[in-house]
Amino acid sequence: MKSKVLSVLVKLVIAVLAFFVVTFTVYFFNLDMKATALLEPFFEKWYDGLERKQYI
Amino acid sequence: MKTVEKIVNPVRRAGEQSPGKIYSDKLKVRRRREWRGVKDTFYDYTRWLYLLSVLGRFIIVPRNVKGFFRYRWMMSYLFVPHGMDKFTIGLRDEALRIAHTSFNFVIADVTKAIGNCFRGDRRVGNDKAYSDKCVITDENSMVTFMMGFDTDKVHTILREVPTMFASNIFHQFNVEHYLDIAQQYGIPGDVCPMPEAEAGISIDDDFCVLGSCAVQNNTTCDGSLMGNGIIAKRLEREYGIPTYQLATPLRHKEPDVLEYAAEEIKKAIRFVEEHTGEKWDWDVYFAAAKRVNYATKCRIAQMEINSTPYPQFFGAAFSLYNDTNYMGNSGRMPEFVDIDRKLLELAEKGYKEKRMYAKEYRHRCIIWGVQPQYVIDQLYWLLQCWGVVPLTDMLSVINTDMIAEEDTPENREQAYRDMAMLNMEMIMRNHTHGGFKVLVDDLWELCEKMNADIVMMWEHMSCKALTGMHGQFEEQARERGIHIMWVSHDLCDPRVFTRQAIRDQVNNYMRTVMREEPLDPSLEIIPDNEAY
Amino acid sequence: MRDLKHLQYFEDLLQVANNELITQAKAEGKVCVAYTCENVPEPLLNLPGTFSIRLHAPNTGSMDIATYYMTNLLCEPSRALLERAIEGGFNFADCVITPDGCTMLNRCVENMELLKTMGKDNPNFFHEYMEIAFKNTDNDVNLSVQQCTNHVLTPLHDKYGIDISDAAIRRAVEDHNRLCRLIQAIGDYRKDEKPRITGYEFHVLCLATYVCPAYLVMDRLEETLEELKTREPDERPWRARVVLVGSEVDDSGLVKLIEEQGAFVCCDRFCFGSHPGRMEIVLNDDEDALTQVCRHYIRNCHCPRMMSMDKVYGRKAYVAELAKEYNADGVIYEQVKFCDPWAYEKTLGSYMLQQDYGYPVLAVDRPYNIASSAGQMRTRVQAFVESVEIKKLQKGGRA
Repeated sequence: MKSKVLSVLVKLVIAVLAFFVVTFTVYFFNLDMKATALLEPFFEKWYDGLERKQYI
Repeated sequence: MKTVEKIVNPVRRAGEQSPGKIYSDKLKVRRRREWRGVKDTFYDYTRWLYLLSVLGRFIIVPRNVKGFFRYRWMMSYLFVPHGMDKFTIGLRDEALRIAHTSFNFVIADVTKAIGNCFRGDRRVGNDKAYSDKCVITDENSMVTFMMGFDTDKVHTILREVPTMFASNIFHQFNVEHYLDIAQQYGIPGDVCPMPEAEAGISIDDDFCVLGSCAVQNNTTCDGSLMGNGIIAKRLEREYGIPTYQLATPLRHKEPDVLEYAAEEIKKAIRFVEEHTGEKWDWDVYFAAAKRVNYATKCRIAQMEINSTPYPQFFGAAFSLYNDTNYMGNSGRMPEFVDIDRKLLELAEKGYKEKRMYAKEYRHRCIIWGVQPQYVIDQLYWLLQCWGVVPLTDMLSVINTDMIAEEDTPENREQAYRDMAMLNMEMIMRNHTHGGFKVLVDDLWELCEKMNADIVMMWEHMSCKALTGMHGQFEEQARERGIHIMWVSHDLCDPRVFTRQAIRDQVNNYMRTVMREEPLDPSLEIIPDNEAY
Repeated sequence: MRDLKHLQYFEDLLQVANNELITQAKAEGKVCVAYTCENVPEPLLNLPGTFSIRLHAPNTGSMDIATYYMTNLLCEPSRALLERAIEGGFNFADCVITPDGCTMLNRCVENMELLKTMGKDNPNFFHEYMEIAFKNTDNDVNLSVQQCTNHVLTPLHDKYGIDISDAAIRRAVEDHNRLCRLIQAIGDYRKDEKPRITGYEFHVLCLATYVCPAYLVMDRLEETLEELKTREPDERPWRARVVLVGSEVDDSGLVKLIEEQGAFVCCDRFCFGSHPGRMEIVLNDDEDALTQVCRHYIRNCHCPRMMSMDKVYGRKAYVAELAKEYNADGVIYEQVKFCDPWAYEKTLGSYMLQQDYGYPVLAVDRPYNIASSAGQMRTRVQAFVESVEIKKLQKGGRA
């Protein structure tokens, strides 16, 4: 029982640590915004292609 | 010329000493985030996670995905974390926490506003029952006339805030498209770009369409008033949404306009009742009035702290929170009370510990005029690069009078006058309109009160109310021995003045007139003209 | 056509702000009330013992000092007026009454006040600023009555002892109506297929009634009306008839320039013009005159600053009505550069007049003094006239 709890705890710690390492790396190196910036031209193209009812 | 005592920070800042290094001329975002020492970096990281969770919760709703692909301005919200980084350059300790607490809340509020827009939008969520209880208002609208409507029953939709105002803060280029559309249809390029962009959004059919009715007003300027006509025409004639024009007197310091303004508020309330089918509730109103007064007390306390040698409230994050609270909330939502309290506690703690946020405090500065949307981080930069402490900006210098908060027969009549007063004294227009005294004389009083030796004057080149007093500011500053540093910009069109062109006006003044060297040379020239 | 007998006289009066008739009226002991905007009810400034002068700055050249005070981003009329005031060109004024109509003119007058440009030798001199109505409602009428009482009538009475009674206001309205009837009668000749008066001539006469003491030009206007009854019109037809709509025009050179390109300005819808500035005020005996005057000004106000949608749509409908009444082929919307209200009004107006009412429209911006940029305007008007002519040919009649 004790070893089971320990094993879960270890897995939990590893998961939290992994989550931290991955997200902190993304955070610190600004990878989230760098990736988003790559997508922007595609969105621009998408919005330009939409038909709109332009008038005053 | 007036001088103030220079204060040297006895504590070396944790982490990064030259944050200018994290900018890149090859990327449209920063190379990496700022290293603020272990404690503050971890705090900043947790707030980043929180922001991602806010955005994540928003985008998992299918109608929001649909809205994202329908509206061009939604693209700006991809860059919310980048936008938040602009508000925290060089900040540590309490100031960092104040920036996050205030602006994270604003971001959550804007996200909620977008979600509400999409829910009722005829093209996206099309929740008709919800839309029938929505009232659209302008971006620069005091929502005092909604203070007595239960927020669960009637929904105030400041449609232009997420569409134009906030989105431009996250993405400096996003309104260029709408300005081009407006100008293509004949509006000249010399009017204020904000109402012009809003008119452009309407012409481009890029506003959400919802609501049982709309209330517009003339709270800011001639351009704003006139742009409303273009927007209202489409609302009324194409979408069948009736509009009410809430007239707000300009000479707000004259007692002989108050009754007119109060009557206009009454009419706006009747208009909302008629179109939403909901009734004005005095219990709801007076509860909101109490919150308005609490926010006012907090604001007065904030100003007092900033009048001391150890100011704690800096820059745009804080002023945008004040805008949101004063104007877009007007006491309607209880959540703001907790934030107000928390912000004040943080500031009091920082003040007690004599916390400083730059290597030196060389000058104490009042920021006057209207800030550009796309250089929203300028005040943090001013502090870090030159040691010029921004004590307050014009948009944060708003009403300090208490309003009636007890429900009595007399106070119900007084309430209309209170709402009218708040409406007339809306952010910005309380200084830009109402005669030269509130624009020019108020500035000198504030310099005296807050012991400022320098004024950074945002000269929004399309704002005629401000530029019309240019010479008076010059002459009167000279008479008073106060430095006045002119910084021209075009509010939300970076094609007219780039970010570095704006900063260079400060750099030139500090080097040539003040004969000073920057505190942090890495920030003097930042390659962010092409960044979002 | 033969020259109008008094045209030269009126043209000369417009060459300076401080014209000889102002000197004459002042010598008669009258108080000169200067103002800057059509939203101030004119009869209230022309009570017994007073006369109104709308400030203008003819033949403006350099505006350097005013540009220092207000930057080059404000409209030229506001800078030209300030420059003229700094030069001492408005020293005849005994007070200045300004509505907070548009921001720029308001700032212009505030600068005049701060720089103490007027009233140096007059201890009774005063500046007053008024809030003006935004909509056409009873609440706005009440506001206007209060504002006129507090910022026009009371100071005139307190400072100069002017009679501000109901009877005095009624007398002023009678005089105003006489002037309006004259101007309208003269202007009606523009409706003819072969008009007996040009748009330029009419503008000169009309403008004189704003910038001179009106009571001193009445005789010559009456004589001009008589002269028009028998004046032989030109046989040469105009290439096009246009309504000129927009922000203030106190430079008749603009109208002249348009007409030189063959476009007859058959109707004027701008500040310093006759629509709605020279419309009679009909009073009844049941209500006080002040309220009725204020109501007239609010109901008939076509200033873009009026924000309610009935006014927004109404302004365009009014232009269309005028175009129909005066048999216009097209509409020219003009704005002084940097004028915010007319920038938007011009955009929406030109769009609606084309789309909803079917008129060809030219939308242009212009300098205050057209002589400073005549070439551009000439080209734009020429092109517009040609396009109207082509449309007329295609339709075999009206454009």
